[in-house]
Amino acid sequence: MSLLNVSDLHASVVTDDGAQPILKGLTLEVKPGEVHAIMGPNGSGKSTLANVLSGRPGYTVNSGTATLDGQGLLELEPFERAQLGLFLAFQYPVEIPGVSNMEFLKASIDSLARARGEEQPNTATFMKQVRELAGSLDLDPAFLKRGVNEGFSGGEKKRNEIMQLLLLQPKLALLDETDSGLDIDALKVVAEGVNRYRSAENGVVLITHYQRLLDYIVPDFVHVLSHGKIIESGDKTLALELEAKGYAWLT
Amino acid sequence: MADLTLPTTLATPDWLAGLPDAGSLPEVLEQALNSPAHRERWKYTKPGPFIAATQHPMIDPDISGESQNGVALNQSIDAPLAGFDLDQAPEAIARLCYADHVMTLDVSASTNEPIVLSHTGNTRPLLVRVAAGVSLTLLETADASDDAQQSIWIDLAPNARVQHSRNALNDAPSHWQYLNVRLQAGAQYQLNNHVAGCGSRRQDVHIIMDGQGAEATLVSAGKVDGNMALDQQVTLEHRQPRGQSKQTIHNIVANGGKCTFNGRIHIHEGAAGTDAQLSNKNLGMGEHATINTKPELEIYTDDVSCSHGATVGTISQDALFYLTSRGIDRTAAEALLSQGFLRQCINGPLADQALTALVGRAREES
Repeated sequence: MSLLNVSDLHASVVTDDGAQPILKGLTLEVKPGEVHAIMGPNGSGKSTLANVLSGRPGYTVNSGTATLDGQGLLELEPFERAQLGLFLAFQYPVEIPGVSNMEFLKASIDSLARARGEEQPNTATFMKQVRELAGSLDLDPAFLKRGVNEGFSGGEKKRNEIMQLLLLQPKLALLDETDSGLDIDALKVVAEGVNRYRSAENGVVLITHYQRLLDYIVPDFVHVLSHGKIIESGDKTLALELEAKGYAWLT
Repeated sequence: MADLTLPTTLATPDWLAGLPDAGSLPEVLEQALNSPAHRERWKYTKPGPFIAATQHPMIDPDISGESQNGVALNQSIDAPLAGFDLDQAPEAIARLCYADHVMTLDVSASTNEPIVLSHTGNTRPLLVRVAAGVSLTLLETADASDDAQQSIWIDLAPNARVQHSRNALNDAPSHWQYLNVRLQAGAQYQLNNHVAGCGSRRQDVHIIMDGQGAEATLVSAGKVDGNMALDQQVTLEHRQPRGQSKQTIHNIVANGGKCTFNGRIHIHEGAAGTDAQLSNKNLGMGEHATINTKPELEIYTDDVSCSHGATVGTISQDALFYLTSRGIDRTAAEALLSQGFLRQCINGPLADQALTALVGRAREES
């Protein structure tokens, strides 16, 4: 059974000039235990895919379906998608002054537990777990007291996304250009975090512009997205081929 | 707006009589009341009831911490504060004249414990004099349930430091607080102001940087919900060189609330090297919130650094999406964001009470 099933998805972004079609019949199936990399040139629709699946306002789905564990995603509010087990690692994580990271993480984990009918974690145990996770990602635990992403460097913001991924343990992780803006050391930390998350039960969709990340997170499948459709799929060697030849030979 | 007039003929108290202009005090005050700049300050709040109430009977505030060494509380005054100006705040001067007596608090040595003022009703004017190099923590709460006014003058001698926390969270038909702070050279003053709307609440703050290198910080969090109103008028004058002032005012206005903020920074000629910053942010929530905000700058010297801005907005959709993408439902996410907006401006010794009243939850340990 597939974990994520996207079928013939057509979607537009809402702009001042009206709706611009971006996704034009995208189909993608992710089974438990799989890592799929989605690559493609600028403007091919990579981030739109992540945004549409996670329910960001400003996009319109015109046709097609998307399910997670057999349940339809596209009619749901963003928080309901998260409660089903979807996670988006943001390309540009948002700064929220006044709401501490710890408070935010507790609100999140409590909401997810409630939605699943599970018990909410004990605060002291939870805080200890978060501090350990932060440490394991080279994040100073003092950050947890500060506002969400407030004053974080680009690399710290991305590591904070991975920390949330490890804490929330979603069924499916969508990583939207998590490698952008990272130096090689930060990239390794992020990749190590994603590899720690990987299991036989969950799935990863890795949206990336560059092959470099795939040296550290080895995908099972590589797809090339162009003009809103997947035009080529293969194994990890496809990424190397793209790196060598660019996108032009495909598009 | 009709002419603004004081309720009855007022008598100049002896201790004010020595001031220039004191001989024609009623005329001076009427003129000051009706100056275009002053009338502008009453543009969004009806002045009549506030001015009329300046002659209402007054009681003493409840004070604690006044028996510490170096603190003297008196019920009389023999001379006005240095720099006292009859033109400023005519309503507050009128209140001084109507009061049967004025209280003075002289602080000549740094105190271990804060001095706590609780205003359980319409309280008498208070003059606070803090001696050179002395540190004082002043806590002030408004606890009246009826119409009430307060007028306080704080004079900081060179290098004095005052940490002033003020909560005006009570529910009353009307409430007016006038606060005048004068800083001499090297003095430092910080106000942490936490305020809820009430029937009609007005806060006037006038800070005068009257010595070189003085520093003033004003941080204020306000919430105006339902049919409540809040009008804040802040004037900050830099009269001497190298002063630093920073003002951060966050207000949430929700469900028919009405909030007015006017923040004026006046940098006088010769106040070179001044660094003045003001930020007023307003968050509108629910239906029919009214927000008036006006930052004003008057600069008469070169070589100053000055930033000031005002924003009026609703909850950030990006922030809302970020929180909801982590499974937090929309209502809870909005609550977190609005709480976070106010919490940025809730600090100091009275923060816990303010958090409970304005944010609805205490600070979480992490």
